[in-house]
Amino acid sequence: MSEPTGALLAVRDLHRQFGGVHAVNGASFEVPPGRITGLIGPNGAGKSTVLNVIAGALRPTTGKISYRGQDITGLPSYKVARRGIIRTFQISSEFAALTVLENLLVAAPSQRGEALRQAALGKRYWRPHERTMVERARELLARFDMSAKEDEYAGNLSGGQKRLLELMRGLMAGPALLLLDEPMAGVNPSLARRIEQHLLDLHGEGLTMLMIEHELAVVERLCDPVIVMAQGRVISQGAMAEVRADREVLDAYLIG
Amino acid sequence: MSAAWQFYISTVLVYLGVDVMACWGLNLQFGVAGLVNFAFIIFQAAGAYTAAVLTLGPATKGGFQQYVGGAHWPFPLPILAAGVVGGLLAVLVGSFAIRRLRRDYEAMVMLVVSLIATSIATNQVGLVNGPNGLALVPKPLATMVNLSPLGYQWLFVGITAAICLCVYWLVHIVTSSPLGRTLRAIRDNEQAAAALGKNVTGLRMLAFVLGGVIAGVSGAILVEFISAWSPGSWLYPETFVYFTAVIVGGSGNNLGVMVGALLVPVAFLEATRFVPQFGPPGFIDALQWIIVGVLALVFLWFWPRGVIPERRRRFPPAAQGEARQPLTSTRTGR
Repeated sequence: MSEPTGALLAVRDLHRQFGGVHAVNGASFEVPPGRITGLIGPNGAGKSTVLNVIAGALRPTTGKISYRGQDITGLPSYKVARRGIIRTFQISSEFAALTVLENLLVAAPSQRGEALRQAALGKRYWRPHERTMVERARELLARFDMSAKEDEYAGNLSGGQKRLLELMRGLMAGPALLLLDEPMAGVNPSLARRIEQHLLDLHGEGLTMLMIEHELAVVERLCDPVIVMAQGRVISQGAMAEVRADREVLDAYLIG
Repeated sequence: MSAAWQFYISTVLVYLGVDVMACWGLNLQFGVAGLVNFAFIIFQAAGAYTAAVLTLGPATKGGFQQYVGGAHWPFPLPILAAGVVGGLLAVLVGSFAIRRLRRDYEAMVMLVVSLIATSIATNQVGLVNGPNGLALVPKPLATMVNLSPLGYQWLFVGITAAICLCVYWLVHIVTSSPLGRTLRAIRDNEQAAAALGKNVTGLRMLAFVLGGVIAGVSGAILVEFISAWSPGSWLYPETFVYFTAVIVGGSGNNLGVMVGALLVPVAFLEATRFVPQFGPPGFIDALQWIIVGVLALVFLWFWPRGVIPERRRRFPPAAQGEARQPLTSTRTGR
């Protein structure tokens, strides 16, 4: 195990048990900056659990997670998020009774008027900042071709549009590391390709991502490195070509 | 207008003010932050007892009512203290009820807390005079202003209206600000809000405490007006009258729940007063509860967004020159 050499995120010997089940059983890997790291493996391999533990939604049984060299193990999810690790959900998690634009505004970090004392200072205090955030949100909407849906209730969006909102909302939070849990799950092929292109563009802008994905063709196009998990362990990692050649991976995953 | 009518109307107005405040407080918790506070009425009760005890003066040994912490505080201190006690009680209840519990269990815990509170107040007679409750609470300012009984009624309406305005200011700054937006986001999806850096527990606690403060103040005004307060006034079904009001009026909309307060606890309960008594004794009262329940059900089924639904917030386009325009919000039905 090498010391973190410039890795943005390092997961060390992570264990997570649910009752007697070892969902994650000693996983270690690193997420290098500026890349899309793929996390793949068969169902039940522990990928989502790993993501949940990194994001602070679950506490690890044992193990250590460090981010930018700092220990973030066991921090609650809102503190993890405030450090710049933003996750999206496998099942769309929109704020249904808020409009699309409001969904994005909620995500803006350190908003003025979000604390009671600031809210009491009145609109004049927080509105200028909110206006800047509205502009930023509109830029995102334009980029994702969702401007027409600005005032729509998020709960009324189609499944595919909710996936886009999920991604936009994550970006609105200004992430340094974006954790994506199957960002293309359940969308039609043409939208999946659009999302793929968006991820490539974001990669081009230098955003670091860790992505769970089942579609190997997509992983091959987007991800380097790739981490393969099976039965709670990391069984292989490296470039997709290397991983493909790995005998253990073939046994565990690619063949069945 | 005859004096009798003026008496009646001013009384109804004070009740309306109290109910509107309570509905705003519950709306902040339930409509905005998604806290299913089935114990809402105990916060109103706590405020009422606080104000009563702090107005009555020390209890005399062997007197006809026994309670703790009596004092002669001048108006408006007992009302402020009632708000503080409502808030502190919310901190206490919230510390075990709104942390780490799923929302359905949270609602159950609240209901249980409400039942426990009634039990304690009824059986610990030395605390707030048990089942008989407190009576003869002096009316605020009554000895200082020299008014006819009718004039005093209207003075009280004025006091209630002024306090209503303060409460409205409080709920308005919360619901109209980014804070309110974040609370509504937490209501819609706690996990997602936490994943975006929102301190979900802290913010829900904030809404819970603010609602508790408001409930406490509303109880204080009620007790100062009717001069009496006993466990019969705050049994757990009273909470559901407020819930019905919030649901009927429009959960999440301050104006809507104000209309709800006018329609359910005031108009509806007042109207049934004038229904001629028929059937066995207590029949009309029982019927009231049933109708309140049915009303909540009907609205949840057919008009879940209420008479005046939560507003859809729109933001003006950021074209040059228009950038200084105020943000507008328009009301829409779905």
